[in-house]
Amino acid sequence: MSIADIQAYAYLVGTVIAVFVFYNYIVYLYRSEKRGEKDHEKFGKLALDDDITSKPLVDNNPEAKNEKKEK
Amino acid sequence: MFHWLEKNPFFFAVVVFLVIAFAGVVTILPNFSEASQPIKGLKPYTVLELAGKEVYKKDNCLSCHSQLIRPFKSETDRYGQYSLSGEYAYDRPFLWGSKRTGPDLHRVGNYRTTDWHENHMWDPKSVVPDSIMPAYKHQYTNMADIETAYAEAVTVKNIFKTPYGPEIAEGKAAFEKHFKDVVLPEAKMITAGMKKADIKAMVDSGEIPEIVAIIAYMNRLGNKRTQ
Amino acid sequence: MQSNAGMEYDYSIVKLFLWTTVIFGIVGMLIGVLIAAQLAYPELNYLLGEYGTFSRLRPLHTNVVIYGFTLSAIWASFYYSGQRVLKVSIAESKFLSILIKVHFGLYIIAAAAMVVTLLMGITASKEYAQMEWPLDIVIVLIWVIWGVAMFGLIGIRREKTLYISMWYYIACFLGVAMLYLFNNMALPTYFFSGGLGNIMHSVSMYSGTNDAMVQWWWGHNAVAFVFTVPIIAMIYYFLPKESGQAIYSYKLSLLSFWGLMFVYLWAGGHHLLWSTVPDWVQTMSSVFSIILILPSWGSAINMLLTMKGGWNQLTENPIIKLMVLASTFYMLATLEGPIQAVKSVNAIAHFTDWIPGHVHDGTLGWVAFMAFAAVMHMAPRVFKREIYSKSLLDAQFWLQTVAIVLYFASMWIAGITQGMMWRAVDEYGNLMYSFIDTVSVLHPYYVIRALGGFLYFVGMLMFAYNFYKTATSGRKLETEPQFRSPMA
Repeated sequence: MSIADIQAYAYLVGTVIAVFVFYNYIVYLYRSEKRGEKDHEKFGKLALDDDITSKPLVDNNPEAKNEKKEK
Repeated sequence: MFHWLEKNPFFFAVVVFLVIAFAGVVTILPNFSEASQPIKGLKPYTVLELAGKEVYKKDNCLSCHSQLIRPFKSETDRYGQYSLSGEYAYDRPFLWGSKRTGPDLHRVGNYRTTDWHENHMWDPKSVVPDSIMPAYKHQYTNMADIETAYAEAVTVKNIFKTPYGPEIAEGKAAFEKHFKDVVLPEAKMITAGMKKADIKAMVDSGEIPEIVAIIAYMNRLGNKRTQ
Repeated sequence: MQSNAGMEYDYSIVKLFLWTTVIFGIVGMLIGVLIAAQLAYPELNYLLGEYGTFSRLRPLHTNVVIYGFTLSAIWASFYYSGQRVLKVSIAESKFLSILIKVHFGLYIIAAAAMVVTLLMGITASKEYAQMEWPLDIVIVLIWVIWGVAMFGLIGIRREKTLYISMWYYIACFLGVAMLYLFNNMALPTYFFSGGLGNIMHSVSMYSGTNDAMVQWWWGHNAVAFVFTVPIIAMIYYFLPKESGQAIYSYKLSLLSFWGLMFVYLWAGGHHLLWSTVPDWVQTMSSVFSIILILPSWGSAINMLLTMKGGWNQLTENPIIKLMVLASTFYMLATLEGPIQAVKSVNAIAHFTDWIPGHVHDGTLGWVAFMAFAAVMHMAPRVFKREIYSKSLLDAQFWLQTVAIVLYFASMWIAGITQGMMWRAVDEYGNLMYSFIDTVSVLHPYYVIRALGGFLYFVGMLMFAYNFYKTATSGRKLETEPQFRSPMA
């Protein structure tokens, strides 16, 4: 098998995997929302409610932040 | 499974990078060695021609002229044999251009002459009355940078194994010898076909104006590639 | 958690990039108008001697509008909306506060050096990557600084979830970094020849067909990662914020993101159809160019549907107008591109004026309109002043819309005319036209195009005036407007 053949097969396998992952992602997006595990649409509000004083949708490590500020 | 993607910027960046890079690996890498093989008998550019190529780049001829003849009858009728990958093996960078405001130049050396270029660069309308190309009169007074062209020849010989002879070697002394023995005589062969006396005088006194270099380069484009 | 009370977003860097957006916009478009006019009236080539020819000025035009105007707008938007969607101020980090100043300072130095070297004809001759190696190093440095600033800001963020705009900014950073590095691989000849010749000169690591493939892998994807990806990042923030309506479908925005990332890179080869690159690369790029319609239209439709239930704003707010028309031109350009990438169409279109026509659909209609909208949205919040004139903004919108129509209509006709004339044969199979015939016939279209460009430039001046007045003498605002930007 020449290098070109290996590359062709690698390309095929890579593309199939990429397509598989991509469709899985679509299923994941919609299914997790249907089951109520995750609401993706709420992230759209990130652009609307973006004052520095407004409460984060998902807080990034809240305890550590508070500690730092209190010092 | 996808949860971490939206939260972890590092993983996210890695995945994006892989997705972006995939296409490049597949489309560019496989043909790399094959596409760089020269056609049989292809000669590397002489130092004067390289200096001409620099003038071509400096005055950015490629913003209006292509060097790529596509395999259509209308193009081969107009410009000659369609372009082959191996003809570009010593072109660094490639100068295909992306727009033909003026005609293709890949084989211009086959059908234009030194004195045609001499008149055309000075005043394009004198040769082609409807031409919209600007005149490049400064090429008749600016001097070509032969030393930089020589430095390029040395670089591609050492690094990319472009088949130059032993006369292309590092250092000032080798350059000066090459300039006197090879570049100047070649420039004089060009000026022999030119009419302007001041250009001839400049070359005789050991200075090479840009116009001489670019005409050397133009003449090279075509059958002279392998002669 | 009230730790961030009393804090404010740090807009100092945003202000600087807003000003450079306007200044580079004027300069870049002025050069554009000049070179458009030169094609119609060649005498205009001699205004600046050696430095004023079309060929010298064309790369200056492209580089100033891409790396001056567009990048400034992108960075202004990034530093503005990046802070806001992450809910963190640059001022909270000493390191970042200093870093952004270095970012701006180096950028100005690089921009000045770019203008000087390109005018002098010091060029690597690769389109949109003309700058020679010393400048390339500075640019890589700037890019790394931007990356550090971006990930630094992400590192100290309060909001854990990265908003979709941040995804696109990250992709812009990574994509350009990778492509730029590979495309600009070159050896400075001075150091490989024992110290001979010009120190600025370099020779490409790739030759001929390889060089072409690497170049258009970059060239096309500079369009992807400078003209598309960060502009989508901008519109996904500014359109919802200005209209007060969240993105129509957040899930669709995520899906189109991955689609765009995967597909865009394959399409680069469509700049090299019928050339000496291997056939399979050409065919693959052609196919992927068509597929590219899907993620592009996914984004564009998502943007337009964001306005659902709020279309009345289209008549009332010129900023919304600019953004909706930008999305529409995005749809148009991303349909036109794939059409040109079909091999049989490309045989006619390639090398003709249809290609710059297509590019300007995207840049004038999509990129610049989005940049204008973003600047006008940011100005009242950054300068804490009302927008100086609504009617001026409205007039600019209409003038520039007409200008774009003049531009692309004339270039469509010019391109197809020329493409058909190049291949026209008489009954004996001989070529019907000499090359110069196909140039002379374009004169009226070049005049119309130059006129279109001129009108667009006038619109740019109106915009600059409006911006200047807003920044200096607009009515003071007490509180930051929440959604719609206030204008007089």
